[in-house]
Amino acid sequence: MLATLATVDVKSYLPLGILIGMAVTFAVANVVMSKMIGPSRDGPSKGIAYESGMNPVGTARKRFNVRFYLIAMVFLLFDIEVIFLYPWATTFPNLEAGTSEGLVWLGRILFFLLTTIVAYLYGFRKGVFRFD
Amino acid sequence: MIERIGYLWPEIVLFIGACLTMVIGLSPNADMRKQTGLIAGVSLLIAAALGLATPAAPTWAILPGIMPFAKPLIALVGLLLLLVNIGSVDRDEEAAIAAGKPFNPLRVTGAEFYAFFLFSLMGAMLCATAGDLIWLFLALELTSLPTYVMVVLSGRGKKGFDRSQEAGVKYFFLGALGAGIFLYGFALLYGGTGTTQFVEIAQHFAAHGMNPIATVGLVLALVGVSFKIAAVPMHFYTADVYQGSSGGVAAFLAFVPKTAGMISILLLVSTVGWAAGQGSLPPAIESLLWALAVLTMTVGNVLALLQSSLKRMLAYSSIAHSGYMLVGVIAGPGDGSFVSSGIAAVLFYLLCYGVMSTGVFAVLASLERKSGGEAVEVESLDDIKGLCRSHPWLGWSMVICMLSLLGFPPILGFFGKVPLFTSALGAGHVVLVVILALNSAIAAFYYLRVVAGVMIDPESDSGVRDTGVPARVIAAVISGVLVLGLSVFGNVFMGSGEKAAEVRRFVGQSDEHDTDSVPLDEHSEAAEDEHHAVSH
Amino acid sequence: MLGMSDMMHMASATLAQAGYPEAMSTPALAHYLFLSAVLFVIGIVGFVTRRNLIIMFLCTELMFQAAGLALIAFSRFHLHHTGQTFVIFVLTIAAAEAALALALVVLLFRKKDSLSGEEWREMQG
Repeated sequence: MLATLATVDVKSYLPLGILIGMAVTFAVANVVMSKMIGPSRDGPSKGIAYESGMNPVGTARKRFNVRFYLIAMVFLLFDIEVIFLYPWATTFPNLEAGTSEGLVWLGRILFFLLTTIVAYLYGFRKGVFRFD
Repeated sequence: MIERIGYLWPEIVLFIGACLTMVIGLSPNADMRKQTGLIAGVSLLIAAALGLATPAAPTWAILPGIMPFAKPLIALVGLLLLLVNIGSVDRDEEAAIAAGKPFNPLRVTGAEFYAFFLFSLMGAMLCATAGDLIWLFLALELTSLPTYVMVVLSGRGKKGFDRSQEAGVKYFFLGALGAGIFLYGFALLYGGTGTTQFVEIAQHFAAHGMNPIATVGLVLALVGVSFKIAAVPMHFYTADVYQGSSGGVAAFLAFVPKTAGMISILLLVSTVGWAAGQGSLPPAIESLLWALAVLTMTVGNVLALLQSSLKRMLAYSSIAHSGYMLVGVIAGPGDGSFVSSGIAAVLFYLLCYGVMSTGVFAVLASLERKSGGEAVEVESLDDIKGLCRSHPWLGWSMVICMLSLLGFPPILGFFGKVPLFTSALGAGHVVLVVILALNSAIAAFYYLRVVAGVMIDPESDSGVRDTGVPARVIAAVISGVLVLGLSVFGNVFMGSGEKAAEVRRFVGQSDEHDTDSVPLDEHSEAAEDEHHAVSH
Repeated sequence: MLGMSDMMHMASATLAQAGYPEAMSTPALAHYLFLSAVLFVIGIVGFVTRRNLIIMFLCTELMFQAAGLALIAFSRFHLHHTGQTFVIFVLTIAAAEAALALALVVLLFRKKDSLSGEEWREMQG
């Protein structure tokens, strides 16, 4: 494998170099231009931490409620589910029309979605969606 | 692909059972919550019956007969394990709720425990159904991911929970390492052969021989899967994890991941060696398995000698038993008869090991002692001294199962070990057989120490008593009775083990046949027969 | 406005004119395998040497992704989709493991206020 690497045509990496160059230029240009063009004011309100327009209160190392963690888990469930829907959706139109193939495929994806509903039901009973 | 559902009914039943327990176990009604164990038991019974009826010899399976043997085995030992585990989670929480504490779904874990219990067994069954690498990877992960949670949930009391969490973290992280290794192996195996189907991989090897990428892949896959069976380079977690989890969950860990891992190793190894028409495995794979087997047996037995905690001792003994089973894998299928087939020996040994180790752990799970105001599980041999006098049922079950683990002649473990010896001898591995015999002799020391302690020594005064969960005692007694019963009627299962160990051979395949895409999922038997020369 | 893919395409076309045939085409299989092997080894070495649970988890994740990269490279090499299908399942399992790992790390942090695996030394042989 090392022998193969030694014979690599370095020039074929030129596009990668161009891409990296563009990324670096863009980042540097932004910083430099905002320094040059932008008005420079200073004050106490500019020095405080940015928190989406809210007043930052208390320490950032505050302990979050476990519910946020549970929400993240539910998000993960749907997030991963979508990965499987895409290949299914791209294959479905290519199935032969007029055969039972389409029904079988529909059945499969419905079963897959059903398993997610079970997980959702479980989360519901566990109280993941109760915000009080 | 849709035809494959016919082989999956046991798994489907377990899946439905798991979904039901997951939802019903969170019911605010205490009586509903109590039904989860029952649901799990019923679904396991149905799965066992359906598993027995699984049709054999599908064209896509590399070990066509393994399903009708492995599925009922997993379901029935699963039932035994369920008895040991009933009432092990939520015991204090349920008592508090009965005494008037409000029900909080976040505090109750019975639903998850039983659902994960069933999912893990389902994963082990899916390993037996696996026809390709993707399926096997998912099945192995489905077996092990739930067990990590079960370990964490199994602790009782503050100290117990601390320990079970530590055990769970160690188990999870090393498990993830093992998974990463065998996944990389699978990727290379796919790259080296261009397919993920076991049958096609075997055809590829038969036609073109091994290539370096596939060999490295197979080695990594075997090393990674050896985590599941706790073989030596990946055994570090075993003692801590068994010690930290409750007796019931430790019994589960000793059987279910081991069965899944052993079946996976058989499937992976089947794609090379005898399937390619050679008598033995390729040298690289054979020397790897040889080293694994010898190290696993020896390290397991020697370290078991040094343990004072019973559970740690059993953990190392379970490592040693994995080593014994690897001997059968090295021996290969022989001429297909039970005495010469190492695969049949491995499958039968899994049955024996499942029953006897569950029995021993069930006895441990049935006993507790007071320590600092908390009821904790028995720990050392001193705690169970004189058990035959204080708790005769438990004591004698312990004696029977321990003697069986040792391989004492007229008891089950002996009949499990003999085929391992004969198959390895038949394949010409004399040194391996000698090491196996020496290891059995080392093992006698620590097993007999426990047997003598339980039978002869005077009762201990450490206040050991029953945990008050009758299911565990019942499980222990059933295991003891099963060990004795199988010692007499085991030949029935030897026959089915022999059938399960049937292998495919792909001899005399021309290259053009190999490059054909074989329609594996359509039942074109006539076309298949041209491609596969099935042995027997 | 030019999208990124347009720019890549232009770059590729320019390079092709400049005498670099298929300059934007994929590097050889060996490159991918080498990268995936490097990732895998980094994963193992990191797992063995580090004691921070999150780093250890990231290392196992690195091993998974190394396998995923190898699978996709092989899939392209063999010109069929099996390897890519495999990767989707690998991602699923990786997500499930992430959920579990984070739960365990949160448990440790709440109990010991630390992320080091060394904090768990309850049991000794």
